[in-house]
Amino acid sequence: MVLYDSTALAGNSSGSSSSSSSKPPPPLQPQQQQEIDGLLAGAGYKVRSSELRKVAQRLERLETAMANSPADFSQLASDTIHYNPSDLASWVDSLLSEFAQPPTCPSEFVMDPVTNQTVVNDAWTTTEPNMPQVHQNISYEQQSLNNQLTVVTAMEEDSGIRLVHMLMTCAECIQRGDFSLATSFLEDMQGLLTRVNTVCGIGKVAGHFIDALGRRIFQGIGGGSINGGSAYENEILYHHFYEACPYLKFAHFTANQAILEAFDGHDCVHVVDFNLMHGLQWPALIQALALRPGGPPLLRLTGIGPPAPDGRDSLREIGLRLAELARSVNVRFAFRGVAASRLEDVKPWMLEVNPKESVAVNSIMQLHRLLGSEPNRNSPVKTVLSWIRSLNPKIMTVVEQEANHNQPGFLDRFTEALHYYSTMFDSLEACTVQPDKALAEIYIQREITNVVSFEGSARVERHEPLARWRTRLSGAGFRPLHLGSNAYKQASMLLTLFSAEGYSVEENDGCLTLGWHSRPLIAASAWQALSDAPAEFPAPDTHRPS
Amino acid sequence: MARSNEVNLNECKMVVPLNTWVLISNFKLAYNLLRRPDGTFNRHLAEFLDRKVPANANPVDGVFSFDVLIDRGTSLLTRIYRPATAEEPLPDVAELEKPVTAEVVPVIIFFHGGSFAHSSANSAIYDTLCRRLVGLCKAVVVSVNYRRAPENRYPCAYDDGWTALKWVNSRPWLQSRKDSKVHIYLAGDSSGGNIVHHVALRAIESGINVLGNILLNPMFGGEERTESEHHLDGKYFVTLRDRDWYWRAYLPEGEDRDHHACNPFGPNGRSVKGIKFPKSLVVVAGLDLIQDWQLAYVKGLKKAGQEVKLLYMEQATIGFYLLPNNNHFHAVMDEISRFVGSDC
Repeated sequence: MVLYDSTALAGNSSGSSSSSSSKPPPPLQPQQQQEIDGLLAGAGYKVRSSELRKVAQRLERLETAMANSPADFSQLASDTIHYNPSDLASWVDSLLSEFAQPPTCPSEFVMDPVTNQTVVNDAWTTTEPNMPQVHQNISYEQQSLNNQLTVVTAMEEDSGIRLVHMLMTCAECIQRGDFSLATSFLEDMQGLLTRVNTVCGIGKVAGHFIDALGRRIFQGIGGGSINGGSAYENEILYHHFYEACPYLKFAHFTANQAILEAFDGHDCVHVVDFNLMHGLQWPALIQALALRPGGPPLLRLTGIGPPAPDGRDSLREIGLRLAELARSVNVRFAFRGVAASRLEDVKPWMLEVNPKESVAVNSIMQLHRLLGSEPNRNSPVKTVLSWIRSLNPKIMTVVEQEANHNQPGFLDRFTEALHYYSTMFDSLEACTVQPDKALAEIYIQREITNVVSFEGSARVERHEPLARWRTRLSGAGFRPLHLGSNAYKQASMLLTLFSAEGYSVEENDGCLTLGWHSRPLIAASAWQALSDAPAEFPAPDTHRPS
Repeated sequence: MARSNEVNLNECKMVVPLNTWVLISNFKLAYNLLRRPDGTFNRHLAEFLDRKVPANANPVDGVFSFDVLIDRGTSLLTRIYRPATAEEPLPDVAELEKPVTAEVVPVIIFFHGGSFAHSSANSAIYDTLCRRLVGLCKAVVVSVNYRRAPENRYPCAYDDGWTALKWVNSRPWLQSRKDSKVHIYLAGDSSGGNIVHHVALRAIESGINVLGNILLNPMFGGEERTESEHHLDGKYFVTLRDRDWYWRAYLPEGEDRDHHACNPFGPNGRSVKGIKFPKSLVVVAGLDLIQDWQLAYVKGLKKAGQEVKLLYMEQATIGFYLLPNNNHFHAVMDEISRFVGSDC
């Protein structure tokens, strides 16, 4: 199907291959006006076909501006913060706005010799004959949601490849329900494992997947307590995962940067942390707020976490330590702990948000836990996103695993997880510090077990890719706050300083991802509630019509 | 100078389609921001602005891709593109390195352009180009993510190319059925074209057989200022000043543009007379300001008795092969397919 845009319709002699000359061209539908240039999309840029000419003119103007004001130019080159380069039109406009007086390009306007009036010089060549412009109606989001499977491998020995093959076949048997065949594969794999290098590469991660498959076959899919570990154990493992590799540090760092910027100029700020753990994220923010020009705000922190089994108020203990730190740097600070075993058990009134304060909601790898097994009913994620929105936060920072581990089909999920976690394990190889590394591996292993062996409400590690979160969050009334080149640069620099070579930060449509070589593993994004959120803060018990 | 700028902007508008103009102008302006006068490069901003795409082991339009780390020491990554076959439309993810099945499978080792400083194997424009080459030539394409200048000067890019060549040549799964050998072609645009020549040169003594070199708008130069450099400076997206910057960034410090990396048949060049150099397909864009050097390269090959075919695309600018919206694109793609297919 060939769609027409305004330039192709304006008496262009090329005419697309399927145009019927007798009928007048159909009037432009709003949808067609939204279509982006398919060829530029292939190059990574979203430009509406109807805007091409305008973008070209702006590029021209920008070039002239850059040539004419070298002082502005060098500042542009060094200090300007860039955002979302895929949106070419707004990128060019933002650069143009950096110039004191963006010139009108002399070449843009020429004198019409007949009328003696200036007319816009639309000198760009029209399409060459027999070269139809291909304007595909690409839904940009749709493209990224297409079945994506990214594999990064290092050279594997033959037995490693055999192992992968067997893992896939075993998973396929399980999907089909042929558990006896699956069991025999399991035995074969356990045998093969003894002959494969399990210290690194596929051998290492294969062992964990073999265990997970075994567990699924023999213990059933809801068997045992969730991950078999206490909250306390999980916290320890989390801490070592934090130390052994940069994923959590990147998450904290990027989120803090965005929160700091969002809080600029606000004197009463309230951060809601969906998973306090040891509060590792917050010392850096407290210190940054202490140092901000104009002085620190009053900072409230509400930390959500599971109740301690021994009755200790573990959340409060963390809060006290953070309060110590805040006091030492003269930041007025108040802490509140909200104990909840599941995020969906938290109600907004528990957070005691004051309508006068600026709120930041911080979710580091928590939202995916709300994706129930039946997505179309009133899933917890919709409920939670809705009350987040009712808080009217200045910013919501979201970090999630960049993976498609919530696919309904078991084999697809298994395949994706195998590649995701083998890449993550590969990146861990660079860490030599013990016991951080060993415990970090156990942390990851628990995730693997959950993705592979559990189902239903027990399967909480329901990771979904950024593209899907974008759709979901936009649909829930949030708009993206783009993370810019300054955040990118700082993240990159920290990686270079503190982590092994091989990690890479990438910009993705206003979000940042951290990955190992060319495979993004963690995605960080920031959001703001759309302005048609209620101006009045609702009373705690009011039921608002949905 | 506003006057001649005006003329320049108008001229290049006339010869390329609008979306190509937007794409290349965008690169031009972004790149202006990245090159610092002191010779350093704003790498963070460069990586931030570069549009990248992940590999995809699920076929899209009949091509799937996956990344392989072929040298941990230098973090040398390659992206491998393979055709999904009729027998196996959905590749077995466990066996991405499954042996090729055809009698003859060309394996094209591709070096992306970017004047030695820009772009990566996973840059969207090059991912797209490599995917096209797979379908066009019924080939496996191996795109090399070589180390870039100015952080990594000569000979890093050539070293990485050489590592990739050795790796490809030693993969049993890339051997054609016909003779159990890997049928290797080297291809590249801009700096990638330059790398092609130098890697082919290294292959000579090693006994690795390269069947052909494909150079798209290859990046060569020299100390002398040529006619085309004077005439076309600043007219079609490229200036002599930026060309000089990139050479200063790549060549060893203190070397000039008559260094053999830049000027392979110049005063410090190395003759290829009498050696088994691969046949070459060299594409020159008529509106590329360094065409005199590219034509001199072709002449140098001919003088040395080597087989070379020149494709001179008169009205083409740099980057014409990035978007399939012009006649030059299709003409060149046809030639490439014939060049690679002629060994079957």
